[in-house]
Amino acid sequence: MIRNMKIKFLLVFSLAFFSFLASAQVRYYTKNAKINFFSETPLEDIDASNNSSVSVLDTQSGSLQFSLLVKGFEFKNEEMQEHFNDDYMESDKFPKAEFKGTLINNSSVNYKKPGTYNVQVKGLLTIRGITKEVQSNGTLKVNNDNIKANSTFNIALADYGIKIPSLVKDKIAKTIKITVDAKLDALK
Amino acid sequence: MKRFLVLLLVIILLAAGWYGYKLYTGKVPSLTEVKADATISATDLIAAFEKDSASANKQYLGKILEVSGTIKSIEQESSTISLGNAGGNSSVRCSLDSAFVKEIDSLNPGSAITIKGNCTGYMPDETGLGLGSDVILNRCVFEKKN
Repeated sequence: MIRNMKIKFLLVFSLAFFSFLASAQVRYYTKNAKINFFSETPLEDIDASNNSSVSVLDTQSGSLQFSLLVKGFEFKNEEMQEHFNDDYMESDKFPKAEFKGTLINNSSVNYKKPGTYNVQVKGLLTIRGITKEVQSNGTLKVNNDNIKANSTFNIALADYGIKIPSLVKDKIAKTIKITVDAKLDALK
Repeated sequence: MKRFLVLLLVIILLAAGWYGYKLYTGKVPSLTEVKADATISATDLIAAFEKDSASANKQYLGKILEVSGTIKSIEQESSTISLGNAGGNSSVRCSLDSAFVKEIDSLNPGSAITIKGNCTGYMPDETGLGLGSDVILNRCVFEKKN
């Protein structure tokens, strides 16, 4: 009888212990996700990157978030950076952009098994205070103590009310390619 | 008169060409060459954003700040230095100018430093995960190292 109780106790204890271990690895985050955008026209290519985007992935629910400061986009050309902030993005008025979404096929990712998994992400992207639904394909590379997330998708400037003056309309693409490159560490 | 007009046209064309060239090649200058708009301690800067981020944004967003503080952590991979109180959750995260990245090895957590950078804003911790809120500085250069 006593032996039985001991076994039960051990069982409950080890279950609790292992579930604690597992829950410790549920969330992953980074404060240095790279978000890049690229505008391609026959006249001019424009690209800029932001290396301090915050991202959190909840592996249990599949929720994935990104947020960044618009002024954190760096251009090679100062003039472009000024136009981007002052004229197109109004970054004084709308300092942040964010994405809140979920991995539609989260259940097909085995977070305990290192490897590269194809994922579909769907969620709400907010730029200049305007929120639109976006959907994209990407990959999650599960490593032992971190996860690498990569995705590329396109957004239309008109969707977010970004107006390009006719003078430069041939130099700025109507559709911008966004590239996401993040290495998320386990949150302890 | 005709010659004058041709000359004028040439001058205008040259000026336009030069302006266009400058526009096209105008690199973002290193902040070593730029005077700071304000000087502030890391803890005061964090406190200003935590208290009222809207008014702190008005005051500091897009400005070149000279920030002094204690090094909390150094992230080699992302060339980022965090300043602030070791006990506190919040930091000033300074992303280094590529020209200064190699100097990151000479820094130690706990030592005092003054960094000049472009304030791109405030990221409050909205995750509820205790990640801490951050004021972000970009293109950072060292002003004073101890």
